[in-house]
Amino acid sequence: MLISFQNVSRFYDKWPALENIELTVESGEFLVLSGPSGAGKTTLFRLIWMGDFPTSGVVEVSGYRSDRIRKGDLSNLRRKLGIVFQDFRLLSERTVFDNVALPLQVAGSSPRAVRKRVFSLLAEIELSHRRSSYPHELSGGEQQRVAIARAMVAHPVILLADEPTGNLDPDVSKQVIELLLEINRTGTTVILATHDPRQIPAGTARYLYLDKGHLANPVSWDGYNQL
Amino acid sequence: MIHLLKTSFHEGLLNIREKLGSFLVTLLMVSLSFMVFDIFLVVSWNVGTVLSNEQENVGIELFLNEDVTEVEAVNLADLISVMEGVRSVYYVSSLEAEAVFRADLPEQADLLILLGPQFHLPSSIQISLRPDYRASEKVSGLARTVSGMDGVKDVVYGQEYLPGLTRTVDMMGKLVILAGLVLAISLSLVVANTVRLAVVKRAPTVEIMSIVGAPGWFVRMPFLGEGLITGIAGSAGSLLLTGVISSILSSSIPHDFLPGKWILLVLLLGAASGAAGSWMGMRSGIPKPRS
Repeated sequence: MLISFQNVSRFYDKWPALENIELTVESGEFLVLSGPSGAGKTTLFRLIWMGDFPTSGVVEVSGYRSDRIRKGDLSNLRRKLGIVFQDFRLLSERTVFDNVALPLQVAGSSPRAVRKRVFSLLAEIELSHRRSSYPHELSGGEQQRVAIARAMVAHPVILLADEPTGNLDPDVSKQVIELLLEINRTGTTVILATHDPRQIPAGTARYLYLDKGHLANPVSWDGYNQL
Repeated sequence: MIHLLKTSFHEGLLNIREKLGSFLVTLLMVSLSFMVFDIFLVVSWNVGTVLSNEQENVGIELFLNEDVTEVEAVNLADLISVMEGVRSVYYVSSLEAEAVFRADLPEQADLLILLGPQFHLPSSIQISLRPDYRASEKVSGLARTVSGMDGVKDVVYGQEYLPGLTRTVDMMGKLVILAGLVLAISLSLVVANTVRLAVVKRAPTVEIMSIVGAPGWFVRMPFLGEGLITGIAGSAGSLLLTGVISSILSSSIPHDFLPGKWILLVLLLGAASGAAGSWMGMRSGIPKPRS
């Protein structure tokens, strides 16, 4: 078990963003998390990377428990994770190379090792020719691929993708989903939050549906019967 | 670790480069604020030097009765020389006193002739004090003690000016410390505000760094470095400006510039203010990991 939520609730004031969540994710899984806006998908992600903590219950990720983790261990946990956001969150004043290199640099890798890994990864996602470009010079799809490369550069055990196709057109979205599936095939656990779980081919993932902070059975939701 | 430190240093340079304009304005503000302090220090140093010279001359003079023989006077001087706070004693005979009087006040030497051969200036013992015994209370305490000794007619130790001199020296020292503290606090607030603005401006970068697993110190160090550089460069700039002004004015108002130790103190104060300011700026600017 790589991730577990043990009766986790997160309240903001008295409003429940998540309530009584029980969830386990195994190593190598592809988990699709769906639900309407405000359902709690992003909160669930924040609890996984421990950018936020439960009001009650315990989240355990790769051996780190939310009720016991020390401040100094947060960076160790986050180095095991790769995170992709809907709005890419690339650093605008840095080149593609520097953006992708960042997780390795903050982990103290040597410049030579950084160059080798980043060049190799940029070649894999076919963006080598854009390594000196700045984010604003790239298309939305290219920016998201750079964001995925940044998330993958330090060989994370879990990739969290929060609505990565939300700002992309259907063709580019398909490429991004293909890239996530490819990453999962190499053994990385992928958790994808999306409004449209039909982007993922049937049989390749486990599906969860979040509604108003509660996990629900996706089969009972119209339009997902075929999943 | 070395690579991480190098990257952190590089991040610090990026911090400064991204907002070079506001960094230079802050640097100028810090320099000008420090300059006021530096000028105050130069004045204090020079006044302090004059006062120290005055204090250097603080001593006690014992005038002896006419019937005290030279042997008795020397014995008395020996007795005083072993008392606490006494650095040295010097016996001035009546003849020597007259010679000194004639040398120091030649225009009034006729007075001695007018007063006749039976008049003699009193012999005396001059007591030089250890530096820590030159303050008003200690001098008067010692003067009281020696005034009660056999053969002592009168004791003179600068009763009129010594209390004022001691108070002034004490006050100068306290003023320098107080001004330093006030300036350190105000400069810390200036630097804190700058760093807070920098943190806010770089909030997305700070957040991304935190998300990709940067250690807390790695995120904080560039801001701390920026504060330190601002403080040290600002205080160094102020010393340079004050030095230029000092050399321009030195021909019309003779004075000394600050000694090396004081220059180092100003630089350290700058570094401390910068570091404290960064710390305050980061505390209020960088979001906490737990909410």
